[in-house]
Amino acid sequence: MDPEAFRNARESLELDFQTTNILETGLDRHTLSVLAAFCEKGLQSRVAALVKELRRESQTNPTTTPAAPTFP
Amino acid sequence: MEEEEQKRVLDLVKELVLRLVSNSSSPEEESTIESEKALKYAMRILGSRMTPSISIDEASMAESIKRHLVNEGKSSDALTFADLHTKFSSKSGSGCIQNKWSVLYLLKVISEDRRKDKKSDSRVSSGFFASTVSGGLPVLVDESSCNSRKTLDKSRISNGNGGVLLISKDPENIRDIALRDFANLLKEESEIVEGCLVRDVLYVSQGIDGKYVKFDKNLDGYVLLDSIKVPKSMRIMVRKLCELGWLFKKVKAYVSESMDRSPSEDVGTVGQAFCAALQDELSEYYKLLAVLEVQSVNPIPMVSESTNSGSYLSLRRLLVWFAEPMVKMRLMAVLVDSFKALKGGAMAGAIHMHAQHGDPLVQEFMRRLLRRVCSPLFEMVRSWVLEGELDDIFSEFFVLGQPVKAESLWVEGYRLHSVMLPSFISSSLAQRILRTGKSINFLRVCCEDQGWADAASEAAAAVGTTTRRGGLVYGETDALEALVTEAAKRIDKHLMDVIYNRYKFKDHCMAIKRYLLLGQGDFVQYLMDIVGPELSEPANTISSFKLSGLLESAIRSSNAQYDDPDILDRLRVKMMQHGTGDRGWDVFSLEYDARVPLNTVFSESVMARYLKIFNFLWKLRRVEHALIGSWKTMKPNCISSHFLTKKDCPVKSQFDSTLRRCQVIWDEMNHFVSNLQYYIMFEVLEVSWSLFVEEMEAGEDLDDLLAAHEKYLRSIVEKSLLGERSQTLCKTLFVLLDLILRFRSHADRLYEGIYELQARTMESSLSIRGKNKSKPRSTKEATEFGSWAGGGRKALTQRAGEFLRNMGHELDRIANEYSSTLEGFIGQLPMQQHVDLKFLLFRLDFTEFYSRLRVST
Repeated sequence: MDPEAFRNARESLELDFQTTNILETGLDRHTLSVLAAFCEKGLQSRVAALVKELRRESQTNPTTTPAAPTFP
Repeated sequence: MEEEEQKRVLDLVKELVLRLVSNSSSPEEESTIESEKALKYAMRILGSRMTPSISIDEASMAESIKRHLVNEGKSSDALTFADLHTKFSSKSGSGCIQNKWSVLYLLKVISEDRRKDKKSDSRVSSGFFASTVSGGLPVLVDESSCNSRKTLDKSRISNGNGGVLLISKDPENIRDIALRDFANLLKEESEIVEGCLVRDVLYVSQGIDGKYVKFDKNLDGYVLLDSIKVPKSMRIMVRKLCELGWLFKKVKAYVSESMDRSPSEDVGTVGQAFCAALQDELSEYYKLLAVLEVQSVNPIPMVSESTNSGSYLSLRRLLVWFAEPMVKMRLMAVLVDSFKALKGGAMAGAIHMHAQHGDPLVQEFMRRLLRRVCSPLFEMVRSWVLEGELDDIFSEFFVLGQPVKAESLWVEGYRLHSVMLPSFISSSLAQRILRTGKSINFLRVCCEDQGWADAASEAAAAVGTTTRRGGLVYGETDALEALVTEAAKRIDKHLMDVIYNRYKFKDHCMAIKRYLLLGQGDFVQYLMDIVGPELSEPANTISSFKLSGLLESAIRSSNAQYDDPDILDRLRVKMMQHGTGDRGWDVFSLEYDARVPLNTVFSESVMARYLKIFNFLWKLRRVEHALIGSWKTMKPNCISSHFLTKKDCPVKSQFDSTLRRCQVIWDEMNHFVSNLQYYIMFEVLEVSWSLFVEEMEAGEDLDDLLAAHEKYLRSIVEKSLLGERSQTLCKTLFVLLDLILRFRSHADRLYEGIYELQARTMESSLSIRGKNKSKPRSTKEATEFGSWAGGGRKALTQRAGEFLRNMGHELDRIANEYSSTLEGFIGQLPMQQHVDLKFLLFRLDFTEFYSRLRVST
């Protein structure tokens, strides 16, 4: 990967992350990057459902607490 | 490849699950089983292929997020978001996220879900939010879909403080409740669902009565039935929408009426084209309606699949959809209304007037119509200009043809029909179009020429428009003008070639000048000599056949014999209508038969004017001829000088003075006649002719030629005092000429008398010698003299004295009359407008003899 592309990717991700924070989705950088990869494959709507389900799953689980918004 | 992809997806899912589930700080070993489970679950969800149908539009997505943020009262966040988004979307190149829209979408959905989770009670807001996302106003939820919500709300409200808490907590809720109340109110007010009305409006806009909306003859419009209870706003809206139906009905009626009329009736090709264009517009309109009808069944496409909205089309949306068709339909209705009586070019012109509009929509619409409407018209122009054909059964074209004789084809055969001239064709262009087609027809009918076809196709090739049909359309006035100009140029040139070379126009003009305007001197001289005696007879005894023979011999004995026989053939004798007492001189004239096609120029009226000029010139020539003839007898000779010897002194002096008087009068008359003759020849005929030749050479078409000839003829008529304005002068002139002729006969009598006396004197002197030899005389004077014969010398001298006295009186009378008339003539001359007549005055009064005479009296 050439440095230009790398820089680009980084910046995009950073922008995404800030957007995420504004929207209070409670996702961290890593998760966001994974989700972005999904989106690139065009699976956005399914992944959205997946995220929703997984969250609910972890919520129902008493040991887990809802992922609070993580600020950098 | 596929497998690898699968694997990658699986890895990603694992990662995700790990992040979201096991991130929750539970011990590693415990969570592995759980995450295993979660992974399976995740894969199942991924495989389930639920895809909501939403349109991919990044900008609108971003917009909806922004609006949502603003709605939540976080406008600073919204601004930040907008900023971020612009940065984000401007990123491009390798390594950055390609599918930007999907990322936005994902984030939004997740955020929405999260909010739902966070505020467990704000379920309504998700519906609200969804509708915001869809880009419209909040949907008025209908009963069925919000039942559960309502019950929930009700229970909460009954809870008391919960509701209060909720309201204070969530400002959205107030709006929501208000909206719901409004929906309920609407439900109560209206008996029917909006969807039904929408369907009805769609029907009505095709001119069909709907279930609730029907055509009312009294109101002349579609109205919603009174029996149906709907809110007033909706009623008004339906009314507004139904205008379209009314307009449509009008246009449709016109089109079908025009189409159904039998072709013999005067719809005309332009009218038909207009109808076809309208029909096309209507079919466009039908397409729109079909789309709308489909839409009215489909629900609104939503971003989130959860909400169930009403049908996509509401009355308000229809209002928007119908805005443009409404404008067009109105235009069409206006056109239809104003064009009922119009047809052909007039119709095209009227549409053109409508096209002069500032609104680009209207302009474009009218142009489209005009392009269709004008095509038959332009086709007519094309075939008229290039083929000379006037295929205009409905008389729609701005050129009108009428059946006429060949010689008046050019002048009267075709004319412009100004009513049918559309305003986008200038009148000069129309004139040119008219003339070009006329030229072709003239060539075809009068000149029997075929060469024009080459000229026309050459012109068409030069312009670039092929001679086939449909080459011209509205809006390309330049192309039309170029075509017409080219065609006109070539065809006019061809026509002029034909007229000059094949029909020898110039030669004929020359011939007319030489024979009818007496330009060929020797011919005129011979003719005058030959026909003179014949013409002195009373008009009714003269045979025109004999005169024709004399004309023939005059031609043969003069230089005219070398002229083209074709030209000489056309020269004829013409006897005019004569009354009692007319002499041959009064009725004789020459005539020139120009024949087709030249009789377009030398038409009957033109020839009548030539005849008038000829008569004038002929009279002038005759007078001149007479004066010269009398000079022959008046020349001083031995008879007159030896007549009467010195012994009869008083009589001799009387004789001398009479002769002298006669000479003086003759001289005066000769001065007048020769100067007039000079003026006519040099100042009038030749000058006009040279101007005419110049103009003839410069002329580019037959109209120019006609104009030049007309000018030539008019200048001759005017300058030679034959015009309207110089009628009195002309009369005086003719009196003068008559006086001169009378003088001639008197002078002849005088000299005849003198010769007779002389002869008598000789005879009497002989008879003194005893030889009486009196000849029988036929004339009165001769018998008189005969009676003197016996009287002897003294009596003879007495007789001579008496005769001379009588003649002297006669001469005096003529001289007096002549000088007074001449004075009048010269007095009137300066009052003539024509500048060239001044030259005649200078010439006649060169020594200022007459003007001084006038001053002295």
